[in-house]
Amino acid sequence: MIKVNKENMEYQEGMTVEDVLQKKKYTFRMITVIVNGRVVPKDQYATYMLKDGDNVDVVHIMSGG
Amino acid sequence: MVENVIEMKKAHRLLARMDYELGKVQKGYTNRTLYINLCDNTIKSKPVTQQMKDIFIGGRGFGLWYLWNAVTSETKWNDPENEIIISTGPIGGITQYPGAGKSLVVSLSPITGTVIDSNVGGYFGPLLKFSGWDALEIQGKAEKDVIIYIDGNNGYVTIEEAPEEAVDSHLAAEQFTAMYADSEEDKRNVAVVSAGRGAENTLIGLLNFSFFDLKRGVPRLKQAGRGGIGTVFRDKKIKALVVKYTGVKGDTNGPADKEKIINAGLRLHREIHDLDKVQNRMREVGTAHLTEIMNDYDLLPVMNFQYGSHPDAIKLSSDVFKKYFTQGLPDGCWYGCSMACAKAVDNFELKTGPYKGQKVCVDAAEYETIAGLGANCGIFDPEYVIEANFYCDTYGIDSISTGTLMAFVMECYERGIINKEITGGLELKFGNKEAAMELIHQMGNGYGFGRIAGQGVRRMKKIFVEEYGADPGLVNDIGMEVKGLECSQYVSKESLAQQGGYALANKGPQHDEAWLIFMDMVNKQIPTFEDKAQALYYFPMFRTWFGLNGLCKLPWNDIEPADNGLTDEPAKVPEHVRNYVDIFNGVTGKNITKEELILQSERVYNFQRIFNLKMGYGTRKYDIPPYRFMGPVTKEEYESRAERYDKQLKELGYDIEGKTVEEKIKMLREYREDQYQKLCDAVYRRKGWTPDGVPTLETVKKLGIDFPDVVELISKYQ
Amino acid sequence: MKIVKTKPELCNGCGACMTACSKVLYRVEDPKKSAIRIKEKAEKSGSYEIFVCNHCGECIPVCNTEAMYQAKNGAVRVDDKKCVGCYICVGFCPNNAMFTHPDINEPIKCIACGACTRVCPTGAIYMDEK
Ligand code: SF4
Ligand code: SF4
Ligand code: SF4
Repeated sequence: MIKVNKENMEYQEGMTVEDVLQKKKYTFRMITVIVNGRVVPKDQYATYMLKDGDNVDVVHIMSGG
Repeated sequence: MVENVIEMKKAHRLLARMDYELGKVQKGYTNRTLYINLCDNTIKSKPVTQQMKDIFIGGRGFGLWYLWNAVTSETKWNDPENEIIISTGPIGGITQYPGAGKSLVVSLSPITGTVIDSNVGGYFGPLLKFSGWDALEIQGKAEKDVIIYIDGNNGYVTIEEAPEEAVDSHLAAEQFTAMYADSEEDKRNVAVVSAGRGAENTLIGLLNFSFFDLKRGVPRLKQAGRGGIGTVFRDKKIKALVVKYTGVKGDTNGPADKEKIINAGLRLHREIHDLDKVQNRMREVGTAHLTEIMNDYDLLPVMNFQYGSHPDAIKLSSDVFKKYFTQGLPDGCWYGCSMACAKAVDNFELKTGPYKGQKVCVDAAEYETIAGLGANCGIFDPEYVIEANFYCDTYGIDSISTGTLMAFVMECYERGIINKEITGGLELKFGNKEAAMELIHQMGNGYGFGRIAGQGVRRMKKIFVEEYGADPGLVNDIGMEVKGLECSQYVSKESLAQQGGYALANKGPQHDEAWLIFMDMVNKQIPTFEDKAQALYYFPMFRTWFGLNGLCKLPWNDIEPADNGLTDEPAKVPEHVRNYVDIFNGVTGKNITKEELILQSERVYNFQRIFNLKMGYGTRKYDIPPYRFMGPVTKEEYESRAERYDKQLKELGYDIEGKTVEEKIKMLREYREDQYQKLCDAVYRRKGWTPDGVPTLETVKKLGIDFPDVVELISKYQ
Repeated sequence: MKIVKTKPELCNGCGACMTACSKVLYRVEDPKKSAIRIKEKAEKSGSYEIFVCNHCGECIPVCNTEAMYQAKNGAVRVDDKKCVGCYICVGFCPNNAMFTHPDINEPIKCIACGACTRVCPTGAIYMDEK
């Protein structure tokens, strides 16, 4: 199990940040991904492997409209 | 065209003229207001006092102050005492920072009965200031159609009867621009404010503010849309306001420290140049990029806010609109806006209505219009959206209110609350674009069912209940208005903070005070009532400030520095807040901090709240939205998100085993309505208001807005 | 047309070009009013970068007053009468080759006159075909 924006998500072996974004349908471009308190650079979303128990925050930055 | 307008001009009859000394803008102010009364054709100059500048700053602040002094609690929107005030603000008119040419318009609204403000692009506000006037204050009513002309180079103002020009804005803007420009090149120095025939026939009239697009060779139109100010304008029999000022330069606004402004502007221009293409693509598609995002996040209003997404929404995506928008043009609504979001469709051939068959340039389409006229009505056809957008603008009716009221009408039709007999044969089902287009023409031209629809959602609810026997509970739950204003186009059901962002907003449910859905619902950054209350304190205060200074909101957070995500408070975009402090200080020569920036807004914001109170509103009961803002009203809505709702109920400890959908709706409703009340408690506390939502005496004293009449008024509510 | 070309490795940082340029453009000797800029590299003292317009024309379409245009000789020029001093062109210049000064309402931009190249003692700048 991992946490994504404070909600549980099933952990799968070999899962990347990119996979999480797709699963959650996080298509917005102005996001910052923070795993266990550390920012993951945009160009590593596809390669950054998550571990079971990771705490992922996908901070959407627009304050909108 | 030229011969035509010469004839039209000959038909003008001069009613009054005032010659004036040209002003000079010093540190963002000319220190004068142009006052006009159309009852007796007074034209005079009024001083802008130091107190006004200190407390109200400019723009919307000035508008509120003038209107406060002009009306009593009994004044109605169509009384001659009501005013329309236009002012940009001290920063408005600088050319070096994106988004710095907005005009703020203030009046008593026909649909809300209280004060309304609207923020609009186009060149009028800055050219008015450069002509020597910080604000234009119009009171009274004319007998016949008039125009007001301000010549900012030769120093005179006239009121003229103008019988022959068009009322519809796309023509009016073109005619008046041609009439007052000396040459093709001179057209950029003329700015026109006009409405349209629909502003006469509905209560949701808007004002179009023009700017001349040199590349396209046509005047473009930006809309002061919300709250029916166009209706007030036409009720005063104003056909147009025209200002002409030649000679805008980088220092016309008289900045105290130009270098500060230049540096901030260059930082932002470079950011936009480097990052817009990987962020929001505002330069390519404007706000249209939001459609697919809102759809993906279940926030796009579909079929009167019942649902948050739809498989066909892809047909309204920004990639589709990009093909219609002419690319590569510098579409800024004032000089210096490198965001350039003011997209347009060129050579669009109209398929319906009085201009059928003509090819026009349409200022289309922004997210709100796409979502409102399109998805919210179940119509997923970009050409319909463009055509409806054109007619809303040229008729002078607000496309946001039109979208929301059309969606309401359609749901009422589908639920059998109204029928073909009532609509005069229009089959107003979701998705019926022919019927929807016809209703827009009826609203614009004032006939048939359009006369009812044009009165807005609040009045329709009443009519449907009183005359057509509708169930008041249901229509009140699904009619998406608060305070009488139709909701803008985001689904707030799953974000408590945004329910507050909408329903607590001073003017009604427009998201310009706060848009918190991502922070609240997606990021889960503001879990407690106190967190939400803090967000509902900070963002409305921060965003109010744009309206005091003539600024656009978009360059604040629709582009962000590459490292914004690493800052303490990314949602505030700290670097851009620093820019705003810099440009304010650069213009005025003051030395404010970012905390004082908030304080400036807080004064005006509280004053506006108290203005609502003066007009008989402004307490807790007017802050409560219809239930559809908060949760699922109908079975279908519940079922569309059953998993989410069931889960929430279970987590809350409700026993939902074997319960019917109706029972579950009831449970959820009890809970959510109670949450909303608790949110109000927290927000009022944070803002320094009483439990009934009235600023306390202590608050107004602290803010320095304890004028005798303010104190007298709020004392009754302490 | 001929434009200013650079060989930064030859530049000794004397700044003669900047003085010459400001004289041509604004009749003052003030490097801050020059359309060519010499900057010492932060990481390597004694070595310089040269910023000057190469007349690529990318700034022409970003200007919404049509003040930017290509002159008959091919140089990209600013029409001061039309320009409102917004500096979008400056911010959008891919070469960072336009400049601002608070006394001057328009962008400071190279007109390809060649004066700077004539005073350069090292040959770090020279006129050559575009
Ligand atoms: S961002 Fe768009 S609306 Fe705002 S000032 Fe620029 S062009 Fe106008
Ligand atoms: S600074 Fe002048 S030339 Fe450059 S984009 Fe602005 S108006 Fe055009
Ligand atoms: S060529 Fe002329 S205008 Fe251009 S940098 Fe050299 S001196 Fe200045």
